[in-house]
Amino acid sequence: MRSINLALILVLAGAPLWAQATPGELATHPRWKALLHINEGTTWRYQGRSYIDDPEFFLHESGATDAHAELEASIEQLRPEGSEARCDFPARYRFLDRQLDWPDDGGLSHCSDYQEWRRDMPGERVALIFPASYLNSPSSMFGHTLLRIDRGNDEDGVWLSRAINFGATVQGQENSILYVYRGLFGGYPGYFSNVPYMNKIRDYAHLENRDMWEYQLNLTQGERDWLLAHLWELEDIEFDYLFLDENCSFRLLELIHLARPESTLMDDFRFAEVPANTVRSLDRAGFIESVEYRPSKANELDALVDRLSAGEQDLALALARDASVAEKEAFQALAPRSQNLVARAAYAYLRLQNREGARSQEVAQRGLALLRVVNRTPTVSGVDPERPVSPEKGHGTKMLAAGGGMLGDRGFGELQARFSYHDWLDNPEGYLNGAAIEAFDARIRRTEGDDLTLEQLDVVNIKSLAPRNRFRKPVSWFVNGGLDRRLIGSKRHLTRHIQGGPGLAWEMGSVIPYAYAMARAENNSAHDVLVSTAAGARAGVLWYADGFQLGLEAEGLYYHNDDRRYRPSATLNVPVGRNHALRARVERDGGPDRAETEFHLSWRYYFD
Amino acid sequence: MRKTLLAAALVATSFGAQASAPGGSGCGWGNMLFEGNNGMPMHLLATLVNGTSGNRTFGITSGTNGCDTSGALSYHGENMLAQAGVMEEVAQDMAVGDGEALTALSVSMGIPAEEREHFKKTMHENFSTIFPSEDVTAEEVMSNIQNVMNQDKQLASLS
Repeated sequence: MRSINLALILVLAGAPLWAQATPGELATHPRWKALLHINEGTTWRYQGRSYIDDPEFFLHESGATDAHAELEASIEQLRPEGSEARCDFPARYRFLDRQLDWPDDGGLSHCSDYQEWRRDMPGERVALIFPASYLNSPSSMFGHTLLRIDRGNDEDGVWLSRAINFGATVQGQENSILYVYRGLFGGYPGYFSNVPYMNKIRDYAHLENRDMWEYQLNLTQGERDWLLAHLWELEDIEFDYLFLDENCSFRLLELIHLARPESTLMDDFRFAEVPANTVRSLDRAGFIESVEYRPSKANELDALVDRLSAGEQDLALALARDASVAEKEAFQALAPRSQNLVARAAYAYLRLQNREGARSQEVAQRGLALLRVVNRTPTVSGVDPERPVSPEKGHGTKMLAAGGGMLGDRGFGELQARFSYHDWLDNPEGYLNGAAIEAFDARIRRTEGDDLTLEQLDVVNIKSLAPRNRFRKPVSWFVNGGLDRRLIGSKRHLTRHIQGGPGLAWEMGSVIPYAYAMARAENNSAHDVLVSTAAGARAGVLWYADGFQLGLEAEGLYYHNDDRRYRPSATLNVPVGRNHALRARVERDGGPDRAETEFHLSWRYYFD
Repeated sequence: MRKTLLAAALVATSFGAQASAPGGSGCGWGNMLFEGNNGMPMHLLATLVNGTSGNRTFGITSGTNGCDTSGALSYHGENMLAQAGVMEEVAQDMAVGDGEALTALSVSMGIPAEEREHFKKTMHENFSTIFPSEDVTAEEVMSNIQNVMNQDKQLASLS
């Protein structure tokens, strides 16, 4: 029966019928390769061999590079009845047992540790979890992914699920420059971990203020069994952690691919694995069944505050500072339902304020007093934050643009390519308003009567606008490094620069005004000194209207050599569907002596 | 060998840890966590590579970040409450009368789906009895919940 099912699955999947395969042929079976984590050209490193170096993971000394030798060693060691190796490699055993039709000799029944683990591990549903980026935390900006394994089909029980996470293990003693280097370019060992999902809810939604997207996958019982059996094989196995491609998301794709090796998940070459794209890959390959949204604590507070009048907001703040405000006349005069909302906002605010650091007896006491007020007033329902468009529905993360315009009295044509990801005037659906993260954004331009020139290359350009209100006072910031052109004298010089600064932003409906202080260091051929430094300010306003995004901005810089630069601009972006946009920009750039005005119109196409 | 050790840990803490005094070992009401000596660069990096600092967790060990993990308890409400930061969530849900943490608590206590609404309502009505002070431990909360259930004719048979 078992082999009939298997054959049926293989036939359905259009795969060759392996049931009669010889041991030799099995070494190229998709599932065998998935079990050994062999790179079949999906990423640049370690092609044609296993991603894993850890000798613990192999039964043959050259198993990492020789799938065939590993297969033979596995057959030899897993075949004997009651073999110890079976208990370390239950998924491999399961594979060989089925493929080679080994006699029924009790299988894994002697593996009591594994059996116990499987009994305690949930396994009824699997979800991919995407804690979205948090606006003001640069390191979270690409997001993260993990797997959630649910106990039972009871949706109410996800707090009791397990989280499977792949991450680097960082030791605390090194210096921080090394951290960043190793984090980006590898060198950190990566491991799978298995922790209560509620801890992840706390880490992301409660401590880091990241919304969480939960994508239920449609894995069958058989597929989940493969995944769990293999997970056991990965305990304490060391991987390399590479930030760009072999990261948290990629390793999860490998696990899901193992569960369903006939899927197309690993077919394309991946230069970098961005979590939002991982979700899209799963969506395209037909894995996603449903989507749930779990708002962060900060969003829950905002949703409560939105329901309060200005006077009630003041009361909530006062109540959060002193719970006895609940006995005062101003609070008592509110309708009972308003009292409930005010007290809940006060409690949410208190918790948000005190989410880090050691326990304070006084705060704990105040917190409980506020909950008592909440408890004795009638509960108002329906104050959950509105669910935004989910990240996989957003525009593509890569972009090409073509356009042209006028600079002064000369026309130009321009091509732009951006490797990643989103600027704050791109279609905001599926992204955070006021967050921009761009990497490797290049523009080349041909101006009338001139050669082809590099107009701009942003290596990195991150802007974060975190709106302030009465309850939250975050500091916005931006940082930008790369090449741009600057009018000095009568010529536009290519300058290598790095600039950035802190700022403040507010939100008024769909309009976000902001102001930054900024500092800039640059190197250009017009100035004698190697590095020119400048200080200045940038202020503007973003408007996220229904059919378009509009940005107005002015920037002024004062250089150490008394040079000055002013740059006011207006940019209009009109999305056309999900992956196209028309963008118009007018900008004036220059100093007190000379300035030029540029009009620029371009068509933007987003993909991948 | 490593699997044996692991399994011992698994059996010991299917769902976390025994509660200890509030503040004492990092568990209990009011401990929002994230203390530690890591500092900002460390935290940024940990986020960047989605890593853990130092400790690796696999198996069904609890990973309670500061909570005592030595308790030998099975899948039960008290263990859930002992997870750092969870007691506040449950308290908040009880104060309001609904929420995921409270639902999960009822699931972990084995309360059947059709009784959960009544369970939540009863918890809501007895909030002050269940959380008499900010120094209450997970153990005490659990025993207060049991007492409240015992006095309710519908829930008495479930506790």
